[in-house]
Amino acid sequence: MMRIAIKGIGAVGGFGCGAADLAAALARGVGRVTGLVVPTAQGELQLPAYRAETERLEQFVPKRALRRIDHYSKMALLGAYLALEDGGLLGSDLSRLGVVVASGYGATSTTFAFLDSIIGDGDICASPTHFANSVHNAAAANISIMLGAKGPSLTVSQFDMSVPSALVTARLWLAEARVDAVLFGAVDEASDLIGYLQHRRCGPRHAGAIAPLAGGESSVIGEGSAFLLLTRKDDTPSYCSIDAVETGSLYHGEYSAPGDPLWLLGADGRRELCARYRAAVPAQSRVACYAPIYGSMPAAGAFDLAAAALILRSGRAYPIAGAAGCDMHGNAVPLETESICSLRLAGDNEYAAVTLSRRGE
Amino acid sequence: MDTKNKLKRILVEDLNLEELTPEEIDDSAPLFGDGLGLDSLDAVELVVLVQKHFGIEIKDMEEGRTAFQSVNALAAYIEARLAA
Repeated sequence: MMRIAIKGIGAVGGFGCGAADLAAALARGVGRVTGLVVPTAQGELQLPAYRAETERLEQFVPKRALRRIDHYSKMALLGAYLALEDGGLLGSDLSRLGVVVASGYGATSTTFAFLDSIIGDGDICASPTHFANSVHNAAAANISIMLGAKGPSLTVSQFDMSVPSALVTARLWLAEARVDAVLFGAVDEASDLIGYLQHRRCGPRHAGAIAPLAGGESSVIGEGSAFLLLTRKDDTPSYCSIDAVETGSLYHGEYSAPGDPLWLLGADGRRELCARYRAAVPAQSRVACYAPIYGSMPAAGAFDLAAAALILRSGRAYPIAGAAGCDMHGNAVPLETESICSLRLAGDNEYAAVTLSRRGE
Repeated sequence: MDTKNKLKRILVEDLNLEELTPEEIDDSAPLFGDGLGLDSLDAVELVVLVQKHFGIEIKDMEEGRTAFQSVNALAAYIEARLAA
């Protein structure tokens, strides 16, 4: 399978903005939990949540040009610009750049505001701007239009499997030489709807840290975007390479990965997945979970890939505060392996494994 | 709130003209092009906003072209339709 290179990272979330902020949050071992206020018929719900700020987008795009773009697309746009900047392609000819965006939920704030306006005022008064921002490919389209990217522009939504599915598409475009580079990323938003669903699923929740493998329910809503600038593997410097992307059904519990990788698990405090993550990795494996840095969301798989790329470039793995069940505590430690396997589980038996390495760097 | 001030508040809040306050909008300045800088997508949104906030449906393109020249023109158009 063709290896591809990660040339740039752009991320925005509760930890801050950019690869440097993500690396700093990983080194500290903790993200910043603020809150989400959800109006309901029974009053306001106060929920813990990781929130992303997008003011830095005005460094790349005039404020006036952003006035019709909603928070969801702004997060994606900022992640995309940061990845391009980090990869040295900002201002370059982007005529052969593809854009593929993964999202578990899509633009739920705008979509439900649009639906509410139809219910409240009738379909003749539905906002055209809300409609434009609610369509499936809104974020990817905004990125392609703003950047002048002429390659294919696509959104993939498959809940927790959105990120690996989108990554498969990105690899295909590069393998076909359909594009020279792909801005691949993921975005999810902490909206009223997601907050309400979280509350219905988990009930009242204290503002404690996510304990990914501790066994109980400790998930905290996250939001943000993480983008990677991908190219075909060549000799120019990059963070690392993506060697394999595998998806399927994991019936027998344990996933077998070549070598002795650091396992980067997508465990994010959801009780129903905790035991399965524990069973999925071989005994004595070294594991890390970084959901406490950016929160629980389907897009977190892209943040895991960004974290893996930072680890492989620095050669040091990061500790995680409060991540009971992980063995990455205390200070950053030498990686002592050439590869990382990012594993995500979903549904009854779905899995996705992405293997990254610094071989040949 | 009179029609002009209500319109200016709608323009700023619903068209997300964050760099402006309602008081800074010149009542006689063109809404599109060099004046307030609105564009064709804003025109579509404005048709919807006028219907939503004032209950007035703008169906005729020529009527809309005249009404959308400025805040003064749009306020006069709305008041005339409401009085009819």
